Amino acid sequence: MSRAVRMVLPVVFGILLLAAWEILVHVYAVPEYVLPGPSAVAGALWSDGPELLGALAVTLEVTIAALVLAALTGAAIAFLLAQSPTAERTFFPYAVFLQVTPIVTIAPFVIIWVNNIFIVLLILAWVAAVFPIISNTLLGLKSVDTNLRDLFLLYGASRWQVMTRLLAPSTLPYFLGGLRISGGLALIGTVVAEMVAGTSGTSSGLASRLLEASYRLELARALACFALLSATGFVLYLLLDALSRYLLRHWHESARTAES
Amino acid sequence: MSAVTVTGVGKTFANGTTALVPVTLEIGSGRFVSIVGPSGCGKSTLLRLIAGLTQPTTGTITRPGPLSTGFVFQDATLMPWATVTDNVALPLRLAGMSEGEINQPITEALERVGLSGFALAYPRELSGGMKMRVSIARAIVTGPCLLLMDEPFAALDEFTRFKLNDDLLALWQQNGWTIVFVTHSVREAVFLSERVLVMSPHPGRIIADLPTQLPSSRDAGVRLSHAFADQCADISNRLNEALQQRAAS
Repeated sequence: MSRAVRMVLPVVFGILLLAAWEILVHVYAVPEYVLPGPSAVAGALWSDGPELLGALAVTLEVTIAALVLAALTGAAIAFLLAQSPTAERTFFPYAVFLQVTPIVTIAPFVIIWVNNIFIVLLILAWVAAVFPIISNTLLGLKSVDTNLRDLFLLYGASRWQVMTRLLAPSTLPYFLGGLRISGGLALIGTVVAEMVAGTSGTSSGLASRLLEASYRLELARALACFALLSATGFVLYLLLDALSRYLLRHWHESARTAES
Repeated sequence: MSAVTVTGVGKTFANGTTALVPVTLEIGSGRFVSIVGPSGCGKSTLLRLIAGLTQPTTGTITRPGPLSTGFVFQDATLMPWATVTDNVALPLRLAGMSEGEINQPITEALERVGLSGFALAYPRELSGGMKMRVSIARAIVTGPCLLLMDEPFAALDEFTRFKLNDDLLALWQQNGWTIVFVTHSVREAVFLSERVLVMSPHPGRIIADLPTQLPSSRDAGVRLSHAFADQCADISNRLNEALQQRAAS
């Protein structure tokens, strides 16, 4: 199958799906407050576009801040846990605890304890995003080639040299794998947090707008918000995937293209 | 003068297994010594003890300093994220040498192993034999006097192994290093070295310490000579006897 065909196939499928949706909505005369057709959603996207993009910027700001924070703290926590098996046994269960607790259940407490709504959203999105980075980075740190470790030992490498020249590069593919998962989770965390926190007003994010629109049965607008959020998640994944491929292009199997 | 002195060195693992019954031996400066034996005989343990990668349970070892010792692992053990040049540069950078000081030794080391044209290649672009050459270049880049090699060619095909054997011998003759070479191949040990330490497992111990009697300037033709075949047969027999005695007892 040629590259062009592979690219076109999912697009064709999407167009067919939208066409079937549009036709069915018209054939059965479904009212717009139950299910608007794609054309109505596109209309809402066009007319409310600038306002919704503004709201998206608010959501994205939290998402990216949470992702960056999760990347830094997650890597740092993994490095600390890797220092000794005792440290890992002592603290790792709490990382798991953080991961398996639904953030919706933490949200009310955070909202009470923290005044600033940006910080509230940031904390909740961070909780959602940090675990894959900790666990992947930790796995990477434990998978370092033992012979390479011996080599560094043999040449009397300092702790700092081992960290920067051996651990950091060996762990990078694992860390990036965690980051790709966390990108989506940071967005999900932000959206859930916005909905639970019930932010409103002109400075609220896209998830709040979606909720408001659904309360008012403006389903076309709500679906426009949904479409924007999904597209954002997808683009975020593509960007992180591209970053991973770029950083690993010379050496890691995961970044190997079909031709080489 | 001896490059390495091993006095009463034994190794018992934490679980109580004896990896190596205490041995005493001297390896003369500029000698090529092979350690041969089946898996589990403690030959790699002995080499790691000499390198200082493992601490002995008993005894003492005198060896040259870290920068005077090169170690070659069974796998090429290259950093996959670094180019050939950066891999070879590692020991020099770890020693804190400046970028200006390291170019000359790297170029020389790559020339010696015949990889001058591959300075900027990444390990995944190289064949198994070439990766091993990079590994050797890294071991010799510091200008060591002692080279410790742990079954370096075991994973390579026979043609590549013979070629690397020949090249290693040539390098040794030019540079006067002391080489301790661990292998499970009796033929490889006899072909390469001046002295063969034969080891036997359970517990790991040296059962024979034999000089090889082959012409000092060896070429590929030696592999076909009667003297070579006789030496190999002699060592194989000793090993078999040791293994059978153990089986009988």
